[in-house]
Amino acid sequence: MTVPLERIRNFCIIAHVDHGKSTLADRLLEATSTVSARDMRDQVLDTLELERERGITIKLVPVQMKYRSRDGLDYILNLIDTPGHVDFTYEVSRSLAACEGALLVVDAAQGVEAQTVANAYLAADQGLDIVPVINKIDLPSAQPEQAARELEEVVGVDASHAILASAKEGKGIENILEAVIERISPPKGDPGLPLQALIFDSKYNNFRGVICSIRVTNGIIRTGDMITFMVTQKSFQVEEIGVFCPEMRPIGELGPGEVGYLIANVKTVEEARVGDTVTSQRAPAKSPLPGYRQVKPVVFCGFYPIERDEYPQLRDALEKLQMNDSAIFFEPETSTALGFGFRCGFLGLLHMEIARERLNREFGVDLVSTAPNVVYQVIDTKGSILEAHRPSDFPEVNFIQEVREPFIKITAFVPSEYVGKIMQLCQDRRGVFIGMDYITPLRARLIYELPLAEFIIDFHDRLKSATRGFASIDYEHAGFRPSALVKVDIFIGGEVVDAFCFVCHADRAFHRGQEVVRKLKELIPRQMFEVSLQAAIGKRVIVRQNVKPLRKDVLAKCYGGDITRKRKLLEKQKEGKKRMKQIGKISLPQDAFLAFLKAGDEEEE
Amino acid sequence: MRKKSRGEHSASLYVHIPFCSGKCPYCAFYSVRPGKEDVSRYLASLDLEISMLGRSYGTLPEIRTAFIGGGTPTVLDPVQWRNLLSLLESRFRFLHGAEVTVEANPNSIRQEHLDIWRKWRVTRVSVGVQSLNDGDLRALGRPHDSRQSLEAMSAVRNSGFSLSADLLFGLPLQDLRIWSRSLEGVLSAGAEHVSIYQLTLEKGTPWGDFPPEGLAEGYSFYRWAQYFLERRGLRQYEVASFAKPGKWCRHNVSYWQHRDVIGLGPSAWGYLNGVRTRNASNLDEYVSFIGKGDSPVCFSESLKGKDLASEAAILALRTRWGIRFERYRKRFGEEALRGLLEELDGLPPRLFRRNGVSVALSREGMRVGNAIWERLLP
Repeated sequence: MTVPLERIRNFCIIAHVDHGKSTLADRLLEATSTVSARDMRDQVLDTLELERERGITIKLVPVQMKYRSRDGLDYILNLIDTPGHVDFTYEVSRSLAACEGALLVVDAAQGVEAQTVANAYLAADQGLDIVPVINKIDLPSAQPEQAARELEEVVGVDASHAILASAKEGKGIENILEAVIERISPPKGDPGLPLQALIFDSKYNNFRGVICSIRVTNGIIRTGDMITFMVTQKSFQVEEIGVFCPEMRPIGELGPGEVGYLIANVKTVEEARVGDTVTSQRAPAKSPLPGYRQVKPVVFCGFYPIERDEYPQLRDALEKLQMNDSAIFFEPETSTALGFGFRCGFLGLLHMEIARERLNREFGVDLVSTAPNVVYQVIDTKGSILEAHRPSDFPEVNFIQEVREPFIKITAFVPSEYVGKIMQLCQDRRGVFIGMDYITPLRARLIYELPLAEFIIDFHDRLKSATRGFASIDYEHAGFRPSALVKVDIFIGGEVVDAFCFVCHADRAFHRGQEVVRKLKELIPRQMFEVSLQAAIGKRVIVRQNVKPLRKDVLAKCYGGDITRKRKLLEKQKEGKKRMKQIGKISLPQDAFLAFLKAGDEEEE
Repeated sequence: MRKKSRGEHSASLYVHIPFCSGKCPYCAFYSVRPGKEDVSRYLASLDLEISMLGRSYGTLPEIRTAFIGGGTPTVLDPVQWRNLLSLLESRFRFLHGAEVTVEANPNSIRQEHLDIWRKWRVTRVSVGVQSLNDGDLRALGRPHDSRQSLEAMSAVRNSGFSLSADLLFGLPLQDLRIWSRSLEGVLSAGAEHVSIYQLTLEKGTPWGDFPPEGLAEGYSFYRWAQYFLERRGLRQYEVASFAKPGKWCRHNVSYWQHRDVIGLGPSAWGYLNGVRTRNASNLDEYVSFIGKGDSPVCFSESLKGKDLASEAAILALRTRWGIRFERYRKRFGEEALRGLLEELDGLPPRLFRRNGVSVALSREGMRVGNAIWERLLP
């Protein structure tokens, strides 16, 4: 069943976090009877347990809705959900590529926020029709006119026809559906041309293999067709074609402009990459559709299994996770302190935390993560550029000519009374002031550039507490810049322990080195020997402390049977210490590492 | 060097006297108050045990060192002692110049004991002094005071024996000054050999289950003893043992060199042909096994390969002679030696004394002997 193109609409909802995107999506599903009120759980589209808990959308879920418009015609509306967090900008751009239009939702009480602007710009860049929706008009503090004014002034969209709605109370929902039909262009495409369909998401299912979300541009894709993925040049036979309603419902075919899923016995997400174009094997299209720019992870950290022998499980889990989230990067790494694990790259800190929690919940892997760091560019004395994903990638100090770190440009929307505090925060974080303007007399927009490394530590937290949560923030990458960065090595008993080494600005090296050494001193149990703790830049030791030796149970007599008794006792002790990590001559309980890394987390969160 | 031919024919002998007049709250050794017939039952069984041993080994080895310990050997009265010694004398051949040690408790030792020992082969008497501070002794629940210890030591010296004294440190409320006075006291009394032990709380003893308060950390006591005793001419030849030149206890050294030791009596440990055994620990069991013609051995182990090599290294490192590379290589192979040296290389160099052909613990190394031991386990 193919529907005429002019009665298909593909759209998404873009909004700042908490502006009511998911609730609105739920209402649309209800109003179109896609999901009966009885089945309606709150926020149907947020299927990941984690998403429900955190109230954010991470994965895209395209849902097909059938709607009879006021003009008496039946339309197919494909709602492609988008994530709301800044780390997932790339996922937003993927959904946008499958749409012709977007609902731009703004909270009537809070007005335009940083991500409203960022996402609206993204949509505008892709040539999408934008339908402004002012949500939450039921709130006592709602100021819809103010919100509309901000939409016009800050975002630059025509808000004169903005739809007033309250998703919570079900107000304005029909107006929204009508506006989707009236104001968003129908897709273009030709069923007669060779097949071109964009994969805008793919996830791995244990039973079905890879399930690709596709949007057909030209041609028709049918069950049983032989298809080719144009980038990977792999061919498969289509097993099933269907749509999400929002559960999977097989239908025989998808035509131009239609959105649905494709199952073709694909074993790994690598073979059906997001952004790739599906074409027919027999009559292939000449060229693929424009894909997405490759996203590069910007934040790295090490993941290590808590139980050493769970390394294979962790690897499997990461592989599966990557099937659902191709933005995750990982490669094996070993740490003297933590054993075998993986260096993993993420789009941001939230992305990292979510990955960690999913590994734990969905795959049951207990893991510990090392402190996150950004990617550094190190230029050595020969002039070649090296990408450092971890402190240990740094060459020796005397071979380093220059170190560059990634900068970001942040845009903050903030009530004017907090401007001073935000400026202070940005200055403290080595920020460079770029500009400021007042959107309204009460709200300012501040633009700063600052090192990503400073941002990923605890910027969000500090921002929240400095502005009581009234500031919103968005960022974009602003390239690499030279910085006075140093790698600080941490030595325990004369051995460098990679898990504790870090890279930071030279001015802060002493302070942070002290911090780490102090924390280690608390956590390392006293040994039979004095243990020295040092923080050093190259050969220069900047912090030094000692853990005093434990002087108990010095010796016992040892004749005849004492030998056997004592040996058995020590064997037992040694068995107990197998769970310890050996650093040179020092046994450290795993707990000490966990405690250290967890203590780090607390500071970051 | 241990000569093979000699190893087959000579051994050390340990005889355990399982009797005490009372039980000290920290002691994990087996002992009972001797009942009316106990001592004669014990001596009769000992006789049978020796016969059994003779049957299973053909000829009994010659005795190069003997140690009669306990328990409290001096709980036996002079008549009982005479019986014991004539039993040993009739069943074993002692090598010329054999070292024979008897353990004595200050409260139960009598001049008659000394006279009997004097007439037999005893060369050394080891007195369980533990401390020369009466507060310490009361805390330990010892059945004697410091005056008795001094008298006992003086009697031992006057009878011409080489005197050894055992001292304990890490006691409740003990401080360095008290400790030093005890060390000083036994030296003044003529001790040529001093064994020092840290109080260990062992499970199953009253203190192991309910530890006393105020226990001192042992480290500084040990360190002081190392300094003090050496200054007074006693050399540390083992983790817990100090002796004037030539006065070290050859019997104890045989444990650390994996030499053969015949163990007799309840709960006695032996080490013969690489097999370490322990006899039934309780007098009744011991007597009943032997009465039925069964071996009283209730535990035995025979370490092989890596386990044996590791134990040999650990024991050798307890002594000042340490590990001789050549000998170790011959016994356990090149790989075992290399593995051992690698493991030691992972430890701070100041813990060792090396001279190219052997490695031994330095003074500092002796202080952390337990930690090193643990590292060397296979």
